[in-house]
Amino acid sequence: MSDQPNTPKRKKYNWAPYLLILPSFLYLIVFFAWPMVQALVLTVRENDVLLKVHREPEQTSSTIGVFPRGLSVEILDQQANIISESDLDEPGLITEIWFEIQVEDETGTTLMGWAPERRFRIRETDENGQPLKATVRPILADEADPRTSIYIEPSESSEVVAHLEAQTTVDISDQMTLEIWFQVSGEMDGETVIGWVQSRYLRAFPESNQARVDRGNTGQFTWKFIQRMFKDRFFWPAFRTTLLLTVIVIPIQFVLAIIMALVIQANLKGSSIFLGIFSIALGVSDLAVGIVWYAIFTNFGYLNTILERLGLISAPITYLSADTRHWILIAIILAEVWRATSLVMVIVVSGMQSISQDILEAAELFGATLWQRVKNVILPLLKPSLQVALILRTILALQVFSVVMAIGGGDVVTVLARETYRQYYDLRNFHLAAAYATFILVISMISSIFYLKAVRTEEEVQG
Amino acid sequence: MKKNNTDQTPRVEVAPEVLAIHLKMKRMQKLRRGLAYLVGIVISLWILIPIYFIASMALTTPEVVRSYPKGVLPFIPFSFDTLRFFLGSYGIVRGIVNSVVVALITIVLSTIIAAPAGYAISRYIFKGRDLFRLSILAVRAFPVVVLSIPLAVVFIQLGIYDNIFSLALMHTALVLPTSVLVLSSVFASIPFELEEAAMVFGCTPVQAFRYIVIPLILPGVAASAIFSFVLSWNEVFAASILTIQNRTLPAQVLATLPYSPDPYKFAGSFFMLIPAIIFIFLIRRYLFNMWGQITK
Repeated sequence: MSDQPNTPKRKKYNWAPYLLILPSFLYLIVFFAWPMVQALVLTVRENDVLLKVHREPEQTSSTIGVFPRGLSVEILDQQANIISESDLDEPGLITEIWFEIQVEDETGTTLMGWAPERRFRIRETDENGQPLKATVRPILADEADPRTSIYIEPSESSEVVAHLEAQTTVDISDQMTLEIWFQVSGEMDGETVIGWVQSRYLRAFPESNQARVDRGNTGQFTWKFIQRMFKDRFFWPAFRTTLLLTVIVIPIQFVLAIIMALVIQANLKGSSIFLGIFSIALGVSDLAVGIVWYAIFTNFGYLNTILERLGLISAPITYLSADTRHWILIAIILAEVWRATSLVMVIVVSGMQSISQDILEAAELFGATLWQRVKNVILPLLKPSLQVALILRTILALQVFSVVMAIGGGDVVTVLARETYRQYYDLRNFHLAAAYATFILVISMISSIFYLKAVRTEEEVQG
Repeated sequence: MKKNNTDQTPRVEVAPEVLAIHLKMKRMQKLRRGLAYLVGIVISLWILIPIYFIASMALTTPEVVRSYPKGVLPFIPFSFDTLRFFLGSYGIVRGIVNSVVVALITIVLSTIIAAPAGYAISRYIFKGRDLFRLSILAVRAFPVVVLSIPLAVVFIQLGIYDNIFSLALMHTALVLPTSVLVLSSVFASIPFELEEAAMVFGCTPVQAFRYIVIPLILPGVAASAIFSFVLSWNEVFAASILTIQNRTLPAQVLATLPYSPDPYKFAGSFFMLIPAIIFIFLIRRYLFNMWGQITK
């Protein structure tokens, strides 16, 4: 990564370059760093499994404990509270309408306040059906205060401004939907916790004071998804196949790429034609290449046609079936070698172009054979290029996907990326898909660190 | 040429042993050249024949595609029927339009964002420059698979899931590292002296950039744009994860793969291959330059 000595640079230190790289930097943070953290979070955290229990029936009050989803609780009391407008379409809400009323007391001053709809009988409405006037209903329960409390705010936890006698006529100036909070008691870790929760999280059983925690509002750290991934019946086959493909494909690709680079380096007439042909596969779609090799290996495909024309077989052989797993693997390997060798070739060729021609000629002059030159001169000088190519190719090989889908259908022979896709797309399990994705990330990182370490120690030995 | 050489050499009185070695090396070199040609041709066939097969399948009638043994052009009838059958299948035209729109948005976004960074890397020495280059390279290598899942979850929460514009945002992130690297190698290939000279003659730095650098880098910027187009055009995994109704072409082909007939698959494969092959052929020089710069 040394600077190019022949490109002069603005040597003065200023803020301009930082400003120039800022957009890409921010973009990569938002679309790379952050999703990667999110993938980790999805892997080890389950959302909405715990319900926070509040000390008071208010969002801001302190949490005194959490109830797991599914816990049975007893409802002790209830209270209506303000709910934000955006929450009104939350599922499972139990709401109550409150009226803002105006009434004159005995001294003639006008009182304003809030009380629940159930405390009133509507007497007059406007053309839209909006209530305008109402009378207070009597409270019939024994030993209760027969008067109706009027609150300063639309919430039973706010201050009471007045008590109205039954049959008082009031003007209704506004109305509001409130959510019910329940005071519940439930068992948590052997202790009884009593606190307030919002109605939306509970499923109350009718005709009783029992309820069940329907969903939570806070997450929890869990190994569950990772454990489930390791126990998934597709995990080990996928992992094994991915590793096998990587281990087989990459050496073939490197040998082939170096041979290609040597052919181009031989300065033949028409070597630019060779270069053009060799780089054809550089930008081809992996799905398309998978289908190309499917066309060759399918029952009535080109391989069988050729073998039959040569008289080697008399009837088409089935290659891509559940009984011939090895043939699917071979087809995938050939497709991957066909498709991705050109990337290695480009890196190797660009690396070779920076090797001085004199060194190669000197080696040739001293009678070094081709193999000796490759082993002792070219490969050591290509080390930085090969390192980059190796890291890149390994990481790409670990996420092989479309080729496997196109050739084998993705069930008989499966790979890690295919399982990520299955979990997300077929089974709709974000968490397990994220666990698979994180697993691919982890093995990619391990392999990169391994390559970086391996090459550096050799440099130190040499240096 | 060779005759000339042998005519001139005897005058220098070369010992016969040396001459023998010389001739032997000449023969060796000839042999090696022949071998190199042979290997080059074999590898070329290995690359070209599969493309020839799929082109034969795509450019014939569906009846011929279903027949066995398989033939190749020109021994089978040439026809656009298979391609027409593919293009007429459900969701394909829409998929092509979506693919192109996504790729175009990706090109515009990635060029706008990457060009300043490419300029900074090639023209300035600043603290963290190598770190930035390294992290760009690291990001280039990172798994798409890992990004797609959390982005899907977030896009669902934000209500921008199954939308080609959000897919273009994701594709921009994928091609951004390569764009930065290609563009920085493009800027590096234009000597700073040119800019300096313009400034000596009275241009402001912005004018120098406008009238000297921009005309010179346009082919390189076009190359980077083409490469972004190809990457986005080919991308399958993220497109399949992030869209359901508004599929791009590869995502549509992948989704229907298990129950689609062979003519559809082969024509689809050919249709996806051709633009990528042509485009990459046009810009291969820039890709070699880019890797030459990176691995230095």
